[in-house]
Amino acid sequence: MVLNQLLASLTDGLLLGFVYGLAAMGLSLIWGVMCVINLAHGSVIALGMFGTYLLFSQTAWNPYLALLAVAVVGFLTGTAIYGAAVHRVINAPHLSSLLATFAVNMIFIGLGTAIFTTSPRNLDYSLGSLQIGAVIFPVTRLIAAMAAILLTVALYLFLFFSRPGKAIRAVANNRTAAELMGIPTSLVLASSFGLGTMLAAVAGGLIATFFPFTILSGGPYELKSFVICVLGGLGNPLGALLGGLLLGGLEGLIPTFMPVSWVPTVEFVLFVLVLVLRPTGLLGAR
Amino acid sequence: MTRRGETKPVTDSPVRENREQDTDNRLHPWLAVSDLTTGYADVQILWGVSLTLEKGKLTTLLGSNGVGKTTLLRAVMGLLRPWAGRVTFLGRDLTRNSPHSRAKLGMVLVPEGRQLFTEMTVLENLELGAFSKRAHAHYRENLEKVFAMFPRLAERRHQKVSSLSGGEQQMLAVSRGLMAQPKILLIDELSLGLSPIMALNLFESLTRLKEAGLTMLLVEQNVAMALAVSDYAYVLAHGKIWLHGDPRQLLKNDDIRQTYLGL
Repeated sequence: MVLNQLLASLTDGLLLGFVYGLAAMGLSLIWGVMCVINLAHGSVIALGMFGTYLLFSQTAWNPYLALLAVAVVGFLTGTAIYGAAVHRVINAPHLSSLLATFAVNMIFIGLGTAIFTTSPRNLDYSLGSLQIGAVIFPVTRLIAAMAAILLTVALYLFLFFSRPGKAIRAVANNRTAAELMGIPTSLVLASSFGLGTMLAAVAGGLIATFFPFTILSGGPYELKSFVICVLGGLGNPLGALLGGLLLGGLEGLIPTFMPVSWVPTVEFVLFVLVLVLRPTGLLGAR
Repeated sequence: MTRRGETKPVTDSPVRENREQDTDNRLHPWLAVSDLTTGYADVQILWGVSLTLEKGKLTTLLGSNGVGKTTLLRAVMGLLRPWAGRVTFLGRDLTRNSPHSRAKLGMVLVPEGRQLFTEMTVLENLELGAFSKRAHAHYRENLEKVFAMFPRLAERRHQKVSSLSGGEQQMLAVSRGLMAQPKILLIDELSLGLSPIMALNLFESLTRLKEAGLTMLLVEQNVAMALAVSDYAYVLAHGKIWLHGDPRQLLKNDDIRQTYLGL
């Protein structure tokens, strides 16, 4: 009985962990490629939630079809954020890009609050659930986890085996050298920011299929993304996924042993410990 | 790996390309730097530098430390914005062009300190050297050439750059430049930090590249070696070209002998 309960909590946490990983991948990609910590990450996640919600509720699109549209718009929004707020401060001290992305964050949250208010929304959509043994899997969560795995693998293959992906890694590794080899680095930076933003928005859209949300809901996921980036290290999507799973698993298990309110405390103690003991991340990427 | 080289159109063949460049060359030198003035923030480093590179020649740029050689190469490549002056490549004014667009046209710099992609493998570095479409079309043949020139790199192609020795890294830096199918190759400090044997080795490769018709500009600490292999030399002092001419003539100049050769 206790074992069953543990198993159920763990599965729950792990399924969510895949999506955490996906969201963190967006932050990790941008951070790893251009050393910019995107403080608009959380609001982009929230915008992904609202994008999916609006397409679903206003046009009756299937939420997963809506996600495709959210991905495209997310990519374009990311390149626009890069062009408007990041490109000019890309070589300035880190504080400038922090402030610039924070400003973008405030603009998104301000607009979101004005248009949607902060009352919670809910995507009224369910695909039922599957029961395997004692564990119940809501189908929307299963799909979200599978989408996260699929996107991680796709991103990994793209970064390590395609020419544009290698160009992104080259820019991350040595921007000047990349430029000297004929790689249009500004374009690569803008697209990487677009990709990172797209991943965050899609993660938000997936979350919206099973949790209620407001324009402020991205915040906690942004914090989790930081923890995951530190756990998984930068520059490798698989690291982010593993970090997400670890965090999700913990979130599933902790409440069976202590009050839920302890979850963030444990998470951030872990964050600090990893920073101190293994600053390159658990996978030791960079 | 995809190799567009197998289906490349006839117009892209090296022979045709050379013929076009010959026409250009009759009218202009391959690279002309005129009255280039630049610096960092308020510190002016270059005070009106002019030099030209002729097709198929190896030109050396000499000068003591801190005299602006690297600054000149950075400005020529567009990594540093010129305050005044022009950079003309094959008769086209590229003064305002981005470094990557210059690289696409065939201006390739092997930068000081190598600037390799240290997190990536040897082969990935070479692939990225051939990033531009023009270079990618010659990927296979260029890869064979650099592996023939530096067999050590072929052996280590799947290793990470950070595991290579300094000499091997310099070989890779030059090879990556060659993978870019350069029309002119600018090399900043070929032999810095290398053992004499390794340096000799690399100088021999330069001679072979020259024989194969490559136009090069070399910045080098080892003045004796550089002058021995080059066809023309410029001496930079106090941000200006102080002397230039045939290396054998320069070697007879007492100032040069004292300042750069310690004779």
